[in-house]
Amino acid sequence: MSKHLLKFTVNGKDHAVVVQSHERLLDVLRDRLGLKGTKEGCSTGDCGICGVLMDGRLVNSCLILAIQARNKKIETIEGIGSAENLHPIQRAFVNWNASQCGFCIPAMILASKNLLEKNPNPTEDDIKKATSGILCRCTGYVKIFEAVKTAAQEMRS
Amino acid sequence: MVEDQATLKKLINGNQFLLVGKSIQRVDSIDKVLGKPIYTMDIVPENALYLKVVRSRLAHAFLKHVDLSEARKYPGVAAVITANDIPGINESTALLPDKPLLASGRVRFAGEPIAAIASYDPSIAEEAVDLVRIEYEALPAVFSPVDALKSSAPSIHQNGNIAKHMKLRKGDVEEGFKQADLIVEETYKSQFQEPIPLEPEAGFVVPEPDGSVTCVGSIQSPFHVQTGIAKILSLRPEQVRVIQAVTGGAFGPKSDEIPVDVLGMAAVVAVKTRKPAALAYTREESMVGHTKRHPFVTTLKAGVKKDGKFTAWQATLLADTGAYASLGPLVVIRACFHATGPYVIPNVRTDAYCVYTNNTMAGSFRGFGGPQAHFAAESHVEEIAKKLDMDPIEFRLLNILRPGTLMATSQVVDEACGLEECVNRAVKESDWYGKREQFRKMSGPKRRGLGIAIMYHGNSLGPEGSDYAAVHMQIDKDGIISFRTGLTEYGTGAPSGLLQIAAETMHLPISYFKLEPPDTDFCSETGPTVASRTITIGGRATQMVAGKLHQRLRETAAELLDCNADEIESTDAMYYQRSKPGRRASFREVIEYADKHGTELKEAGTFTAPKCEYNPETSQGTTYLQYTYGAVTAEVEVDTETGHTQVLRMVTAYDVGKTINPLSLEGQIEGGTAQGLGYALMEELKHKDGIVLNPNLADYYIPTSMDIPEIKTIIVEYPGHLGPYGAKAIGEPPIVLPAPAIVNAIDNALGVRLHEIPTTPDRVLIACKRARKDQRPK
Repeated sequence: MSKHLLKFTVNGKDHAVVVQSHERLLDVLRDRLGLKGTKEGCSTGDCGICGVLMDGRLVNSCLILAIQARNKKIETIEGIGSAENLHPIQRAFVNWNASQCGFCIPAMILASKNLLEKNPNPTEDDIKKATSGILCRCTGYVKIFEAVKTAAQEMRS
Repeated sequence: MVEDQATLKKLINGNQFLLVGKSIQRVDSIDKVLGKPIYTMDIVPENALYLKVVRSRLAHAFLKHVDLSEARKYPGVAAVITANDIPGINESTALLPDKPLLASGRVRFAGEPIAAIASYDPSIAEEAVDLVRIEYEALPAVFSPVDALKSSAPSIHQNGNIAKHMKLRKGDVEEGFKQADLIVEETYKSQFQEPIPLEPEAGFVVPEPDGSVTCVGSIQSPFHVQTGIAKILSLRPEQVRVIQAVTGGAFGPKSDEIPVDVLGMAAVVAVKTRKPAALAYTREESMVGHTKRHPFVTTLKAGVKKDGKFTAWQATLLADTGAYASLGPLVVIRACFHATGPYVIPNVRTDAYCVYTNNTMAGSFRGFGGPQAHFAAESHVEEIAKKLDMDPIEFRLLNILRPGTLMATSQVVDEACGLEECVNRAVKESDWYGKREQFRKMSGPKRRGLGIAIMYHGNSLGPEGSDYAAVHMQIDKDGIISFRTGLTEYGTGAPSGLLQIAAETMHLPISYFKLEPPDTDFCSETGPTVASRTITIGGRATQMVAGKLHQRLRETAAELLDCNADEIESTDAMYYQRSKPGRRASFREVIEYADKHGTELKEAGTFTAPKCEYNPETSQGTTYLQYTYGAVTAEVEVDTETGHTQVLRMVTAYDVGKTINPLSLEGQIEGGTAQGLGYALMEELKHKDGIVLNPNLADYYIPTSMDIPEIKTIIVEYPGHLGPYGAKAIGEPPIVLPAPAIVNAIDNALGVRLHEIPTTPDRVLIACKRARKDQRPK
């Protein structure tokens, strides 16, 4: 199995790790960098729960080989906000009780952030499309849509 | 307990609540939006072994030879376990002692665990699984409950294929059918629905130096796991500590034997190797290995008079519980009680059977028999209304349960019944008559329809087990109030609701309270976190314990203020003497006083619900202590060329007794509605010869954001006598009605009745074709 040096940026911080060809980005984030906020829900790219942003694009980190992230900028939930300084999207999810079991929430928040950066004034349909790759089994999505709308409003003002 | 409904309602409406009825932020929200490492697989110890499971490939077979030699030799494999390695009893069950932890000698479903392999590197364990050679001797198998009841069917367990036969006998159905002007008989079928908690099952076990073990996992019911693991390891329950990690969805399968399977296999490895051992199911293993919603075949025969009054109802329900019973026997009990839907029917005869097959296991899943019973009943009611040429709302209102009427169980409906208001408000909000008239005139390939379904749901466990919950509360010297219970948070928000109730009871801000993780070392046996019972039963325990702790604080304040405790009032974390409000002490001062004088501020207690008394032979009596009622309408658009159904709008009206947290309540209703929509339209775990054909999320569809209609929620409050402040169960009910409401809406759109769910495009197209054929002139 060949080994490669993977240099990439995660949440604004440069990292260099030696990875094997078959290693997934998901495992490198979780097991090497200790960023456990990215979850594994199916390992086949169907549930979207392992979603992270790679150069401003939402990707399933279970389907991305770690080496594909070479020289890329990765954003995970850990880079979005902190307890003292929640991102407006995080605050809106909290205020709407939009997280129930919480397992899909990191990916949902990243998908929402990606949407709002490109489209600060989304319609409900835009929000539905932007989150359609991530399954949520608890909320019926309604409070998630509301949270994204609220966050959009706050981020615009 | 206030028995009079009017008084209770006045009391509740007139009472200015501090927190109850307000949308308080859930206590678990911040960690979740930050992506904190809180779930089981985020916190596995570094030196842990990882297990992979060897599963049966056949649905029914003798295991002639299991050759593990190559797997044992594989570099990196640390341990291989089979049934022979189990120190205690080889059993992992929910109710009946029918299921081994690891199969030995015989397997009864495809996917049954036979062995497990452990390695520090999970990929090595996975590779070693492929090296296990199993020689099977196939046995005759049976894959439908109808076939399993035939005399020629192979016996899956010693005592035949019926795990439970539940009967309900009210009046005389034969006499009732004689009185009927119209008799309608039909069979309805529903499918295996997969719960799909987004976090698949996971757990790890740490062997302790004293021979005990600590189990951490994604679980609903820590105490069930504790007794299960103790049996497997031959330990005393107190030697098994179970801690619930934050759990990423559950919906039923994490309440019974499945967490015992996961932690049981890990525990056997942990005690054998003296190393921590972890097991996380893959999505496929989860979908095959855990319990799902029972498929039902339900035959209903109902008699009505010309004027629309019921004379008789006969129901036969066959539930496919798969190879092992799990909680199937209790599922058919609930289905049996609810098989008529929420109607007054003088003569009822119901037979509900829980039947073994060689399919994968069915068991607990949100709704627990209610969805299957109501899908059949509410489809049937619509058929009858159509045959009577009556408006379906008028027909329902003529027969629904109202205060003073009798249920099928002959239980008298009490004043806490808001069913009629739910129906009327759903009808109004959905613009029932206007829309139906408008849709009738539509032409072209896309047709719209509006359908309704209504329900009742017996709260909490009722006859399904002894119904109690324990709560512990303790105030430390910094004033933090630790709240502990064995009732778990797996997404519902109910434990946050318990804190709200505690804070309300003690007149203190909710920020003073800290919800501790469920841990069997630190709380008393609480029973399972199931049956939407956290708020109803746990809420009562919380009121009781918080009330006692509040009294302790008042007594301490009285000591401090040198007066009688019954003279102490409190508000906003301030305690004062009623006659001299100037004499006061803050919460902080009271805590400091208690600490200085060695007064321990802690209380614990268990609330036990009164027992439900009924005749098990006839199911006549009190089967549940309180009921949730509801009405749901669905507006659909069906494409008659593709068979695709899009749900455009749903109105969901529920009598919840009393709202504790409006936002969380709506969240439960919307989430349950979405799961019910999936049950109606798209979700079906398909088996062929017992093998699951679609154990992944590419071939098994659950609703995405694109499938969600506008959902309008209406809250109706008829306070019940069981829950705190009159609150009723709401976790499970919302999944019950979408399926019949949507099927009835499709009928309204197309004039076609679908007797089987899910109503996938192929089924809709076939039904359209059949309808066209029937309409052709002969």
